[in-house]
Amino acid sequence: MKKVLSIALALLLVLGLTAVAKPASADAEEITLWTYPIGNWGNEETVKALTDAFTAETGIKVKVEYLTYADGDDKVNTALTAKKGPDLLMEGPERLVSNWGANGYMVNIADLFDDQDKAEINAAALAACFADDATAYEYPLCMTAHCMAVNLNALKEAGAEQYVNAETHTWTTEQFFAAVNALAAKYGLVGGIYCSGQGGDQGTRALVNNLYGGTFTNAEHTAYTWDDPKNIQALKALYDLEGIEYDPSINGGEEIANFYNGIFKMAFCWNIAQQLNPNSAGTGAGKTANGDDILFMAFPSEDGNANLQGGIWGFGIVNNGDDAKIAAAKKFIQYMADSEHTYDAVRASNFFAARTAVAGNALDVWSDNEIMAEYTKLMPFLGDYYQVTKGWAPARTAWWNMLQQVGASDGSEAAIGSAVSTYCGQANDGAK
Amino acid sequence: MSKDNGSSVAYKIFSLVVLIVLAFLFIFPLYWIITGMFKPPAAINSPVPQWFPKEFTMRNITELFSRRTAPLFGEIALRVPGAVRWMINTVFMAVMAMILTCITAAMAGYALAKKRFIGRALLFSLIVAAMALPKQVILVPLVREISSLGLYDNIWAVILPTVGWPFGVFLMKQFSEGIPGEMMEAARIDGASEFRTFTSVVVPMIKPGIGALAIFTFINSWNDYFMQLIMLTSNSNLTISLGIATMQAENSTDFGLIMAGAALAAVPIILVFLLFQKYFTKGITMGAVKG
Amino acid sequence: MSPELRRRETIAGYLFLLPSLIFFIGFVVVPMVMCVVTSFFDANMDLNTPDKFIWFNNYIELWKDPVFLKALKNTFIIVVVSVPFTCIFSLWVASAIYKMREGLLSFFRIVFYLPVVTGSVAVTVVWKWMYNNYYGIFNYVLKNTGIISKNINWLGNPQYALWCIILILLTTSVGQPIVLYVSALSNVDNSLVEASEVDGANNLQVFWRIKWPQIMPTTLYILIITTINSFQCFALIQLLTSGGPNYATETVMYYIYYSAFKLYRFGYGNAMGVILAIFIGILSAIQFRLAREK
Repeated sequence: MKKVLSIALALLLVLGLTAVAKPASADAEEITLWTYPIGNWGNEETVKALTDAFTAETGIKVKVEYLTYADGDDKVNTALTAKKGPDLLMEGPERLVSNWGANGYMVNIADLFDDQDKAEINAAALAACFADDATAYEYPLCMTAHCMAVNLNALKEAGAEQYVNAETHTWTTEQFFAAVNALAAKYGLVGGIYCSGQGGDQGTRALVNNLYGGTFTNAEHTAYTWDDPKNIQALKALYDLEGIEYDPSINGGEEIANFYNGIFKMAFCWNIAQQLNPNSAGTGAGKTANGDDILFMAFPSEDGNANLQGGIWGFGIVNNGDDAKIAAAKKFIQYMADSEHTYDAVRASNFFAARTAVAGNALDVWSDNEIMAEYTKLMPFLGDYYQVTKGWAPARTAWWNMLQQVGASDGSEAAIGSAVSTYCGQANDGAK
Repeated sequence: MSKDNGSSVAYKIFSLVVLIVLAFLFIFPLYWIITGMFKPPAAINSPVPQWFPKEFTMRNITELFSRRTAPLFGEIALRVPGAVRWMINTVFMAVMAMILTCITAAMAGYALAKKRFIGRALLFSLIVAAMALPKQVILVPLVREISSLGLYDNIWAVILPTVGWPFGVFLMKQFSEGIPGEMMEAARIDGASEFRTFTSVVVPMIKPGIGALAIFTFINSWNDYFMQLIMLTSNSNLTISLGIATMQAENSTDFGLIMAGAALAAVPIILVFLLFQKYFTKGITMGAVKG
Repeated sequence: MSPELRRRETIAGYLFLLPSLIFFIGFVVVPMVMCVVTSFFDANMDLNTPDKFIWFNNYIELWKDPVFLKALKNTFIIVVVSVPFTCIFSLWVASAIYKMREGLLSFFRIVFYLPVVTGSVAVTVVWKWMYNNYYGIFNYVLKNTGIISKNINWLGNPQYALWCIILILLTTSVGQPIVLYVSALSNVDNSLVEASEVDGANNLQVFWRIKWPQIMPTTLYILIITTINSFQCFALIQLLTSGGPNYATETVMYYIYYSAFKLYRFGYGNAMGVILAIFIGILSAIQFRLAREK
């Protein structure tokens, strides 16, 4: 009898714990925010200060989860499949608008943009957040241009300093090749075309497109055009370039780490947040782990005028069918991206503000920061924001798979061309 | 005869040498985790590895425990480092999976071995067929089902499917085959109910099997990854395996930190294994040989 | 058996099975049925287009999908290489250690079991470091001993990546077979061994004639668990290579996950699941038939 009792007790315990462990269904007093590591929006302390201030003012609690670029998409996709997505997502239009928005998971927040907002927000950022004239899935907070970086000390050691213009941060394709050759002669390894996954793919896309002026999509953002012969030429040139290797064992984040650690002398996955980051060894902003100077550069192009990839980040609301939560989430967006608190929210991101003013008051976030001021030199090179093309998520998957195949091929024009046309075709299938 | 002896001695020495080399190779990853945990980033990312840490740093361990906080339990206000909460979740998950699996599998295994009922053969083949099924096969349906039960991102979403996996039933059936029929007959003649026969006659006889299954389930659910990956998302609901995987997605080259996490995941379970090693060995061999 | 007793046994049998069946049906059978049903639909993540019934189109497409065929081939390679190798390796280790002193014996048993209990994620991350192209220990050791002259990008090279995965899989799967073989070998009837030695049989002959038949049931059991184990190498693939480079380590198990959450094609992924389930069903049916015959 004792045993029967103990089994019954065990079962009871189990059932009891099930009841306890069930998440208390939160009312609209609490919303959840999932954020990708956008500057310090991936840092718990910084974000907590921001959300605490929001809670103090509105009484709405914010539960934050931090995603990574390596596994964040999978997590959001699983959660959306399980109908358990967050209330708020912080990322860019390529995910919020053209992926989850287009697939019907996001709330249309066009009502958050009044005429003054539309005037104050950067036109490119504004356009990217709207799926069509009356539908917006993202409210932009901050933006930047993605670039690349060079280890300046190594460049000097290799006697290749003359190939970069440290003043304008630009160079031509020819100068880039000369610099790589000089670095390769001195160090062997210069950099890697990382392609283990999609993390940081904006860098490889911009590098390939800029070298000979190829395009990624058409101007209308309806089809993928990266099977452009100019891109094939660029992929081949990179394949043949001594010192640069296609590396399917690393992603963008790992490339950056290798660059900080001095293994790579160049990084293609770079932007202002990296430039400001004092890195894990704490040597300070703009330095590698052993203290070498980092020079950020536009991607090389034939005439030296690059088309840089833009990064635009902001908030979107996931449609969980709860009006109270949607209303609370809207309050959060207005608080962070359309109020006097926008200053702090942008500062936390380490990027530039997506708007020039808030409610008529000019928004000046970074004038006290020299590195930021220097970086604004790159902003005029901001190119077409094509990441809103339909089928974007499968297209970027096709992109890194294509790089892997190019890297594994014999490097002949035919082999590269066939890899490019296969995967570009796949991307276009998804764009239909 | 002497020639034969000579060659057999030579073979013995040869095999001992090979064994020692192999043993070294099998221990090495664990050694590399433990020593890596104490190495500073510069030593970790250096092309010339340090076989033994030249200077011991606590940086990785401090870093591991200063990352994203989570409530100690449930949603309570007391917040602890994420890794502590992951540990608590993992222990809870493994213990619950263990208890539930042992109870359900012991009962089911006994029924399949000793009861002659309609549909038994069919059921048993179904269970055997399901045993080899990789869980990826039912990935999407399972996520949807769990979410309609309201269990998504809840540790129970991992426990329940683990209990449903039929390996335990198979193992317990193998054990129960060995129970002599006369003993149950005797209990029945004494007027014991079916359930009482089970608890007082069957359970004591298959105790070693239950013990083996308990450790087996505990270790397996501790180390499982896939089910946790698709079911859990919030930092406060992660397990230690998933926590390290997330950490490595975020800081993929900070191997010192990742090794500290790996050690946190591996060392407790290795201790459990060492503690119960004899029992475990006996259990798995008994289950197999009877098969 | 009387009808009355038969009825009683059936009721009792199902009552004992009930708790287990709830879990088994709820979390294995029901999802499997849903998987089969969804595999006939063009199901995806898009909420705006309802799932469309497309008969066998997913299945037809699968056989034209080079990635799936590659994944199938890789899965097959993993099983065909790792199962026999694990069996032979563990049989050799077991026969080398089973006569040792108790202390030494359990030392080796524990050592070979360690990677199993260390856990797939912990094992994976440490191997990822060891395989690292730039500062991994493999490249260092092999370069310093002169075996290779230039760093090999182990996980980044389609030629090596799958073998690197298989190597890790092997270290995590020999533990249990060794334990089983040690016990089976020590249970071999010694009088038979001695008798045949008196007849002048050498070690090898003794092994094949006397020991091998006696450990046959164990071998079959090991074949079954090792096969199951080889199909469970998801964590290795997901954390190390994500199926790359150039699909060199793509397995069906990972491609299902990839189709669902990277390509958003649920129906397609489920069709793959069904195919995999059928393959595995056939494989285990064969193995169990063999086991029963012995």
